[in-house]
Amino acid sequence: MTYLPTITHLIDDTTPGGVTRVLEHIRTCKIMAKTAIHNVVAVPKNSALPAVQGDIIVSHRTINWRILPGLIAFRARHSITPLIHVEHSYTAGFTSLNVENKPRFFTLLRTAYALFDNVIAVSTAQGRWMEQRNLVSKETLAIIPSVVDLTSFEHLPAPTGTPRVIGAIGRLHAQKGFDVLIAAFKEMRGSDLRLKVFGTGPEEDALKAAAKNDSRIQFCGHAETPELAMSQVDLVAMPSRWEAFGLVALEANAAGRPLVCADRDGLRDSAGSSATFVAGHATAAWRDALTAAVSHEPVFAHRHPIAAVETFAQSWENLISGHLFKSAPSALTLQN
Amino acid sequence: MPHASIVVPAFNAAATLSDTLTSLSSQTYRDFEIIVVDDGSTDTTATIARRHAHSDPRIKLVQQINRGLAGARNTGIAHSLGAVVGFCDADDLWLPEKLATHVAHLDGAPDVGISYSGSNMIDVKGKPIGHAQRPRLRNVTSAHVFKRNPIGNGSAPVIRRAALQALAWCPATETRRDWVFDETFRQSEDIECWLRLCVSTDWIIEGVPGLLTEYRVNDNGLSANTTAQLASWERMVEKLRPFDPVFFDEHTPAAKAYQLRYLARRAISGGDGETANTFLTSAFGSSTAPLREEPLRTLTTWVAAKLTYRFGTAPLRIVRNLLLSTKSA
Repeated sequence: MTYLPTITHLIDDTTPGGVTRVLEHIRTCKIMAKTAIHNVVAVPKNSALPAVQGDIIVSHRTINWRILPGLIAFRARHSITPLIHVEHSYTAGFTSLNVENKPRFFTLLRTAYALFDNVIAVSTAQGRWMEQRNLVSKETLAIIPSVVDLTSFEHLPAPTGTPRVIGAIGRLHAQKGFDVLIAAFKEMRGSDLRLKVFGTGPEEDALKAAAKNDSRIQFCGHAETPELAMSQVDLVAMPSRWEAFGLVALEANAAGRPLVCADRDGLRDSAGSSATFVAGHATAAWRDALTAAVSHEPVFAHRHPIAAVETFAQSWENLISGHLFKSAPSALTLQN
Repeated sequence: MPHASIVVPAFNAAATLSDTLTSLSSQTYRDFEIIVVDDGSTDTTATIARRHAHSDPRIKLVQQINRGLAGARNTGIAHSLGAVVGFCDADDLWLPEKLATHVAHLDGAPDVGISYSGSNMIDVKGKPIGHAQRPRLRNVTSAHVFKRNPIGNGSAPVIRRAALQALAWCPATETRRDWVFDETFRQSEDIECWLRLCVSTDWIIEGVPGLLTEYRVNDNGLSANTTAQLASWERMVEKLRPFDPVFFDEHTPAAKAYQLRYLARRAISGGDGETANTFLTSAFGSSTAPLREEPLRTLTTWVAAKLTYRFGTAPLRIVRNLLLSTKSA
């Protein structure tokens, strides 16, 4: 029997959303289970961490000044255990809109990241930003684009004809930029066009108020499954103001839905080359891009290859074996 | 490849271009190119640029059909090779150490995208008029840029190429090159660009001490287009608002008050007391922030507007002369 290393993943955000779904994928992925045991442990937000068992510990928490002392103590208690941080939150776009004192913020990230043996960027764009801002050393940085199991999306029938139903899928938060989408959609002509908004969140009332005079806009609440939301739309719009990765883009590709998305952060990677990218958030730019997208049948029937799941598993396996066998390279030889 | 590029947009600038190019050729930092963009001039602008290029091979001339200031700057950027790009309008001057100072600043502060300095204002003849722009230099937030535009004028900034690249986009109607400045603006094109940098990238804007630019103010027609200027400022806000509605909801009233105060000051310089009064009344209607944050400057503007309204340009002339004589004494 082969010894399988235990990888313990810490999360402090268990609300439905991208991070939770990626963690669920890591926990249940059969390919990943062949080379390691992945455990997910929920820890309290903004407080000290318990001691944790594991050959490698992976933090998926959001970094802030408040958790920094706890993080240092955690590092001290696990001084010889490889620690990995996965950055699900911060990007260039996040910084531009949410951070008043940028030098202070960059110092926070540099300090926190320095406690880890590896920092993982979830998209190439985010990784490049970390390099450009010198937040992490080249040797420490690894880029592993996020993934979830897309099989059920690949099985959805592709939409036919010119797209009529535009979908907005995600938390109703300023981050997702659905206010831009609603304003742009209201300027689009076509009585048979629909905009379906899936999700809940703090902006719900404001968005509903903005959509009030246009009966073509529907608020569908939180979809029971992400596939159910996707099955009801012909085209997906993602006007996000920041996005570390953007899982919905991956799902839209897998489901054969054309994408119109913001030219920002991780969307540049997750949306793929066939997506329409819109620079900025001006209403007119979005109106024009969407109008063009619904005026012809999508020219591609490109579906994201399933290999993404395998690439993801392989990247993690390389990272894990790099840590566990680097002090004893002979172990590798023995296994082979 | 030169480390720095200086873009000089020039439209009918025959009267001043020669001085501008001389000031740029005399920079103590030597590794740069100058790109003069003749934006469809009908005077001898191109001839003057060619003459300078003859004695300083670092000068290149690019000519185009008139596209406006933003269009000339964009063409200059597209032709530039430097890792940092400075801008100097064809009627302004750079002090000899300006480029060296900004290059050193950007080298030492890798997160800074735009480096700028204060400016001394000069008149048509190149004489100091006794006014200077001494902006805030550090801890510049998006709100500061929106309200007070610390960069001040189009000949103050030196910008890292990566920051320009982060700003660049290609509109559907454009076939030649990217836009960094928005060419649909004929006014407010500077502030639109700086503020867009703030709300769409994480580059830091920071100044260096010293008045390293000489910025020419032209007394003619100062107040003539103030109304159009306000309209284009408002269009700029309308354009950028969707990037961050919360930010604009919070800061637009104060920023508008500052903008109106600025336009009032321009109207005063042009001797138009009535327009100045109207702008100030709207300014205070929009927000009292200028009164709270900069009471002295705001009150001076208010008094000057009242005096200009009653007595024309005489009070301003007297104060200016007084200022100049005390400074030279």
